[in-house]
Amino acid sequence: MVVRQYNEELKYLEKINPHCWKIKKGFQPNMNVEGVFYVNSTLEKLMLDELRNACRPGMTGGFLPGVKQIANVAALPGIVGRSVGLPDVHSGYGFAIGNMAAFDMSDPKSIVSPGGVGFDINCGVRLLRTNLHEKDVQPIKEQLAQSLFDHIPVGVGSKGIIPMNARDMEEALEMGMDWSLREGYVWAEDKEHCEEYGRMLNADPSKVSLRAKKRGLPQLGTLGAGNHYAEIQVVDEIYDKYAAGKMGLERIGQVCVMIHSGSRGFGHQVATDALVQMEKAMKRDKIETNDRQLACARINSVEGQDYLKAMAAAANFAWVNRSSMTFLTRQAFAKQFKMAPDDLDMHLIYDVSHNVAKIEEHIVDGKPKTLLVHRKV
Amino acid sequence: MFKLKLSALGHPNPESFNCEDEKEYRSVVLWLEDQKIRHYKIEEREGLRNINDETWTDAYNAYQKDLVSPASEGTLNEQLNWLLSYAVRLEYADNVEKYKNAKIEETKKTAPNVVSSNPLDNLDFSSPAFKAGVERVSALAGIGPHPDPKMRLAALAKILKTNPHPDPPKTEANMIQHPSDVLKLLFVQDLRDLQTKINEALVAVQTVTADPRTDTKLGKVGR
Repeated sequence: MVVRQYNEELKYLEKINPHCWKIKKGFQPNMNVEGVFYVNSTLEKLMLDELRNACRPGMTGGFLPGVKQIANVAALPGIVGRSVGLPDVHSGYGFAIGNMAAFDMSDPKSIVSPGGVGFDINCGVRLLRTNLHEKDVQPIKEQLAQSLFDHIPVGVGSKGIIPMNARDMEEALEMGMDWSLREGYVWAEDKEHCEEYGRMLNADPSKVSLRAKKRGLPQLGTLGAGNHYAEIQVVDEIYDKYAAGKMGLERIGQVCVMIHSGSRGFGHQVATDALVQMEKAMKRDKIETNDRQLACARINSVEGQDYLKAMAAAANFAWVNRSSMTFLTRQAFAKQFKMAPDDLDMHLIYDVSHNVAKIEEHIVDGKPKTLLVHRKV
Repeated sequence: MFKLKLSALGHPNPESFNCEDEKEYRSVVLWLEDQKIRHYKIEEREGLRNINDETWTDAYNAYQKDLVSPASEGTLNEQLNWLLSYAVRLEYADNVEKYKNAKIEETKKTAPNVVSSNPLDNLDFSSPAFKAGVERVSALAGIGPHPDPKMRLAALAKILKTNPHPDPPKTEANMIQHPSDVLKLLFVQDLRDLQTKINEALVAVQTVTADPRTDTKLGKVGR
């Protein structure tokens, strides 16, 4: 890392508008593109304080400040457009959380980096609706919450209540939500309301270590720890009546359930395994990065492809996991209200992933390009 | 017929030319070759010059063949039309500089012509039909009464300009946009029907494959 005074560092940052900062080339060595991040005044202060603290002498260890991390990502081979920091930006492993970066698939030097996806592969959020009103839930909210806890175990080391054997696991990894559908854990229309229809087609369970599968097997249908949650929520404001109506959110006080969870220990192990492989690949292919945490491999290398296939399997695991919790939530509600989940209108509104790398078509400088987009938010 | 082209070429009497009259037709062809096209040497024009002779038609056909006229198989009018256009083309090519400037004058001339053909210009603003029409649209747009119907029409124009109204102006973009929107919506509907059928099939298969089990004994709450 380049060591400069805080005032010197600020010369590389430019506030383009009240909510957007540009990170100019030279802020970190070898930047291929510029960086950009979006913040409000509160977040702006946090970002700059983080940088100021890092400039003080003797500050080593821990994560680099987010601004530096965005700039280091901008120095990765094959990056196009800009290295983008979204409003939730804060430092993470290698890539900052909230850092998005796209790499040109047609450039043989382009890389894929597990740090750009994160350890909780395909962590995501899904929202279920109900036709219940807050006043229906209030009298039994203790029992309902307890019922949810009974169905969905939480915390580090928790184990799920859906029986799975090794063969089920292999199939689930390959099929994603299609497995949940076949086994009857989800409704057919759930798939339509899920990113990628709940299945990454390039998943290859044979690229996943036995250790990862062993860690993942008992954890299916569990929430995990940290910032993960399954919450019973109430609509308290509708901004766009038409759009909300299309999603089946009709009125203030309507009860919803939001689930935020990921691939548990399975994804963590996939990422850890890949980092080891990639350090070797970097030495072999002579890939230089500004930060050791930005371990990566060329997309077309064996390590890069293996990671993408294993990552896709982990993504499928996460979707099966959230689908299982959806099933359990529907069960819990059905028991409490003595009604079928159908009659409670417990449809999935949407499931969106925020820790993935996906191959997508985008227009770059007026030309259509195939990109590997890393999203870590 | 052919008045414009004939006068453009400077024919002595374009007004009275009757293309149905065989004699006049033949003399115009001869005039074109003599004065404008000049494809043949003077002595070779003998065949065309015999206007009253039966052999004229053969000479005319040969003439058209020599000019490579695309209309030589068409009706007499089509044949003459092509000859006239060809002559105009030659005339223009001879005096490009001169006619270039003339162009601007022509467009100016045609512009007022277009306006005069606008039916709205010929409206009788004092006619009872006009008054009744204004009365009707004013009632629709909620415009209050006024003795002068033109005043009410002006108010209506103002309202239509300032308020969003359901019928967008018929521009060329709209003419393409609307049908393509309709096609898109039909496509989406088709797709939706298909997906619904797929979902029904999946649910039918689920009755065979599905066995969603839970076993609470397996559950373990973590730290």
